[in-house]
Amino acid sequence: MLLESICEIDMVKKKNDNIPWIEKYRPKSIKDMALPTAKLNRQKVNLVEELTKFIDIFFREIKNINNKNQEIKVFNRGCLEKEKKEIIKLPQEKTAILLEGQPGIGKTSIVYALANDMNMEVIETNASDTRTREALESKLKETTKSKGIMDFISETKRKLILIDEIDGIYGTKDRGAVPTILDLAKDTQFPIIMCANEYKLNLQSLYNAIPRYEVNPLSKDEILKIITKILSLENIDNIKQLDLELIINKNEGDLRGILNDLQALSQISNETPEERNKIIMSLHRDTTEEIFSIIRDLFQKVNTLNEARAITNKSDVDYNFLYKWINENLPMFVYNKRDLSNAFEYLSIADEIFGRIKKNMDWSLLPYFYDLFAGGVAIVGKENRTQGYKPVNFPRYSTSSFFSLNAAESSLIEKIQEKYPVSQSELFRDFIPFLKIYCAISRRNLKNLSDWLDLNAKEKNLLK
Amino acid sequence: MTEENPIWRLKYLPKALDEIYGRELLISRLKEFIKSKNFPHLLFVGSSGIGKTTIANLFSKEFLGDYFDANLKLVYADLPLTQEERSQAKSESYISTNKIGSMAGKSITTPVFIQVKIKPFVQLKVLGDVPFKILIVKNFEALGSNQQGFRRLMEIYGNNCRMILLTTKISGIIDPIISRCQLFLIPPLKYNKFEELILKISKKESIDVNIDIIKIIYRITEGRISKAIDILQLSSINSNIIDEKIIFESVKKFKNEDIEKLILNSFKGDFKKSRIMFREILSNYKYNANELFQKMLEVIIDLPISRFEKCKLINLIGDADFRALDGIDSDIQISAFISKLNAFGEYM
Repeated sequence: MLLESICEIDMVKKKNDNIPWIEKYRPKSIKDMALPTAKLNRQKVNLVEELTKFIDIFFREIKNINNKNQEIKVFNRGCLEKEKKEIIKLPQEKTAILLEGQPGIGKTSIVYALANDMNMEVIETNASDTRTREALESKLKETTKSKGIMDFISETKRKLILIDEIDGIYGTKDRGAVPTILDLAKDTQFPIIMCANEYKLNLQSLYNAIPRYEVNPLSKDEILKIITKILSLENIDNIKQLDLELIINKNEGDLRGILNDLQALSQISNETPEERNKIIMSLHRDTTEEIFSIIRDLFQKVNTLNEARAITNKSDVDYNFLYKWINENLPMFVYNKRDLSNAFEYLSIADEIFGRIKKNMDWSLLPYFYDLFAGGVAIVGKENRTQGYKPVNFPRYSTSSFFSLNAAESSLIEKIQEKYPVSQSELFRDFIPFLKIYCAISRRNLKNLSDWLDLNAKEKNLLK
Repeated sequence: MTEENPIWRLKYLPKALDEIYGRELLISRLKEFIKSKNFPHLLFVGSSGIGKTTIANLFSKEFLGDYFDANLKLVYADLPLTQEERSQAKSESYISTNKIGSMAGKSITTPVFIQVKIKPFVQLKVLGDVPFKILIVKNFEALGSNQQGFRRLMEIYGNNCRMILLTTKISGIIDPIISRCQLFLIPPLKYNKFEELILKISKKESIDVNIDIIKIIYRITEGRISKAIDILQLSSINSNIIDEKIIFESVKKFKNEDIEKLILNSFKGDFKKSRIMFREILSNYKYNANELFQKMLEVIIDLPISRFEKCKLINLIGDADFRALDGIDSDIQISAFISKLNAFGEYM
């Protein structure tokens, strides 16, 4: 993502050691960036083109809409309450977009560079700000809703709103932030771009409302090109090719992390190769994967109930979520059959307690739930614990999807119900198994049946 | 679509009340209702697959005549609301929005069920030249404690709409409902009627079945005619003369072997594989946890293990099923039960 021409201008070589390299070499224009690739709905897109298009269209349409609203307002003033027209608004997907990708790959940079190129002012809010409803509204609502006084006098800079680290919106601290952002997006006067690191369940309503671009990290070659350029600009030549590769591999495409590592490394004078390696590895940053480490700690390190409590208390992860993770990953960590059944016994009681809490709102029962699902499970099988690295799985399976039919299933059901009016559940338990047996006997049967019901290939597959 | 109906079960589905076989008493009562153009609320009780829905449907059609399309509605009390109904309920603010996400599809919030599915139909005026509308509610016992709400509807809108309630378990229905309905117990088909019907069908399809074979089929299907016809059709595919061997072969195919495999595999102690298996079963057959446990119970009763072990297993199943009722995530409860089977397998 780094610069070519700007670097040369910056090469006045003041040797300004205090400025972090990431700020010093932050690209000022799109032209200087190595551009990350991006996907929208699994389709590859050109991110810069899309962003430019989004901003252009936004300003064009908002102008039209403002003019129309002006007319409506004038009309409303002179008519009865009943006949008043509603003010037109832009749909949310045209006022806001979301960029999603791992940290340090240039999401924020691309927005700033683009704003610079298009001569726009960026108004940023990030995780360091509290983002309760009130805070967000007071900070952004004025800018989103109205134009400043100066705007009437002269054509000032257009503005762009950047809501960075939106997945940092967490539980109780930032309550009401997502609905507020959606509200803002409804009647904003300026385009909104949001950045996020990963998929979050509590942002679902956001994902439904606005387009979501997945930004991919840069390739290793591109990263190597950028950092050799910077190293030569900084006149550093004591970092070996091997070390560079180690750093690049360790950071997995996180360019910001790489630059920070390099800067730290460049300040260390001669060491033996082993020590250098150790230093590189020790420059580790805890990026994500909090829940993964919680699960591993719980199963592999915890020895007492107090330790288990400490872990669950410390973590910011929703317990609602955590115990499903434990359910999914239990068999990975507990091998002994007896231990596994004991662990599941505790987990199942925890689930039962949780169900009662939710049904009767008996929140005083919550401590038992906590201690059972985390502590109880972690203590079991202390003697024969698995060691070493184990993969942790995402709990994809959901029991609430029992009755969710896919498209082929529901169209098959509809076609059968035209001829045979019984309920879906009866069809699945009684009739469709029979049809499967019937069709398995010969191909002619299948053909007869599909002709008679007028089935397509996908529906036919269900009966095979 | 031009082809002849390939499935016998549908081919021999009765198309008029007169075609219903072996229920002369019931049919004559229903015909009197049609003649007098009046009937009280009805409650049909009988085991599943016995023909309650068919009878109720045909009766309503003949009662309403030409106007049956607009005046008849059939609802399933055990089905969750569909997407449209849920959004309708939301827009009319029957449900608070937070219930829709997490609780969606898991359980039906029954007041909503009544408000969305039943009330609008019951409240509307009768269309055409019939005395009242007809509402058929299947699996009525699934309404549970919310039958109280339904009972008010029966009183208030009874003049506008008569209800036919169908259920498999009369014990699941509260007394006030039973006292408001005319009760019809629908027993399994008597053997001689069953025999006549099977002989009639086999004559039409020109297959050869003797009396002994029909007795066997009757015993296996417990008098359920639709299942008997299924078995007959499967057996007839390869030969026109049906003997004992062919019947047992086709019956074997009907047995749900997936669940038996799941239990046997669990005894072996491979938890991860068992978990994949039960998740597949749930998505293929659309069982919920309660139904899965009950199917497992049926399998366990037939397993070749000692009666003490059986009792122990039944105890485990009952416990797991009870917890699944209270709990939130039934995947956890089923996993817990499977892991107990794993441990249990070691002692066997």
